[in-house]
Amino acid sequence: MLDFSGSFGVAAAPAVHLFMESRPSPDDAHLLRRIASGDGDALTRLFDQHSPVVLGLLVRMLGGRAEAEEVLQEVFLQVWMQADRYEESRSSPRGWILMLARSRALDRLRRRTSQQRREDEAAAGEGVAVRPVGTARLEAAEQRSRIGAALGVLSPEQRHCIELAFFEGLTHTQIAERLKAPLGTVKSRILLGMNKLRQALGTS
Amino acid sequence: MSADHSTRHEELLPAYALGAVDGEDLREMESHLATGCAECHRQLDLWQGDLEELAASVEPVTPSETTRRRVQRIAGAAAPIRPRPPGTLRWAALIAAASLLIAVWSGWRQARLGDELERLGAERDRLARQVSGLDRQLGLARAEADRMAESLAIIASPGARSIQLAGLGPSPKASGHTFVSPERGKAVFYAFDLPALAPDKTYQLWWIEGGKPVSAGIFNVDERGTGSVRVERAPQVAADAWAVTIEPAGGVPAPTGEMVLKG
Repeated sequence: MLDFSGSFGVAAAPAVHLFMESRPSPDDAHLLRRIASGDGDALTRLFDQHSPVVLGLLVRMLGGRAEAEEVLQEVFLQVWMQADRYEESRSSPRGWILMLARSRALDRLRRRTSQQRREDEAAAGEGVAVRPVGTARLEAAEQRSRIGAALGVLSPEQRHCIELAFFEGLTHTQIAERLKAPLGTVKSRILLGMNKLRQALGTS
Repeated sequence: MSADHSTRHEELLPAYALGAVDGEDLREMESHLATGCAECHRQLDLWQGDLEELAASVEPVTPSETTRRRVQRIAGAAAPIRPRPPGTLRWAALIAAASLLIAVWSGWRQARLGDELERLGAERDRLARQVSGLDRQLGLARAEADRMAESLAIIASPGARSIQLAGLGPSPKASGHTFVSPERGKAVFYAFDLPALAPDKTYQLWWIEGGKPVSAGIFNVDERGTGSVRVERAPQVAADAWAVTIEPAGGVPAPTGEMVLKG
């Protein structure tokens, strides 16, 4: 069983394992089939296996721990109800769940006013410390991981644009406004960054 | 690959997978994908795979036990709701949906308000006990007030007579008062300073009419030696005398024991 409880910086082995498991895992796919047939234990097992990384993503995107846990519950409710929609040929079970989580988090971000967001960010300090990508701790973790290595080859600007799009749901135009950069520059940063990411990950 | 596939589409795909494409680019990309371009769909799945890895690059956070319990509650509540062929088991699906909603709702409510409910529950139980205690006390107080009011009505009724009884032999310090209301045909009797009796004994009040004792009721005394009797059918004419004797528990038709008060 994977252990996600440790942090990247401390528990190196689980972190590596986490990233190496990016393709469909037969166990997880089997769990999803069991969930689709109404097996509640399978849902609990899937939750135990993947909730730390899903919650990590939600905290990263939403800032507030309480809201992130709320969305985490919604995500697994969705998994419970829609497990039969999972297509093994298109994504890994973990990837599917992460994308469900990202989609829900983006919905929340869009509904949120800037005032609420500031409040949540302030409240986030009471829960878990949310470190932006680029801190020494995360960088140390990234060096041991495939995605970390891949992110390492991006320029800071390319990485920032991709993160704004991915974690905050901003479009080309919004990123250009946020960074006060020309639209064409933003588009090319994302394109070049994504291509570098793919090369580093070895996806064909 | 569809006929209008171009490198421009391929270049837009990574940003499209990210959700960053907007404006005219978005309309163009969507209309191209709508043609069913196999190459673009294949590429899009690959980009999605890369993004899944990006999503997993975050620092994991262990969920709270509360969230885990909520998810377990969902899993234990009802089978997942899935679309069924039209016309089959619609009610079953609705019932399953309702039970799942109830489970989710109660899960949230319970988790969020659990502590508060527990505290309020304890407070409610405490108040209920207090109210029930007060109710009992109020009932007793009301009954006592009713008795007092009736006794007062007898004592204060026009033509009421008062007869004083004095202690005899074994209890010389004891005393008693009988108030008779001819108008109401009732009487009340109070005894003071009488000793407590063994459980198999009782005090019995009598009035003497034409030399014959008539029982007016039995009573026991409290720790202060006080006791009382309300006589529902008092003598119509003035009795010759009133007396109290010690009798077997439950009383007797005619006096057999020692006389302790007389007046």
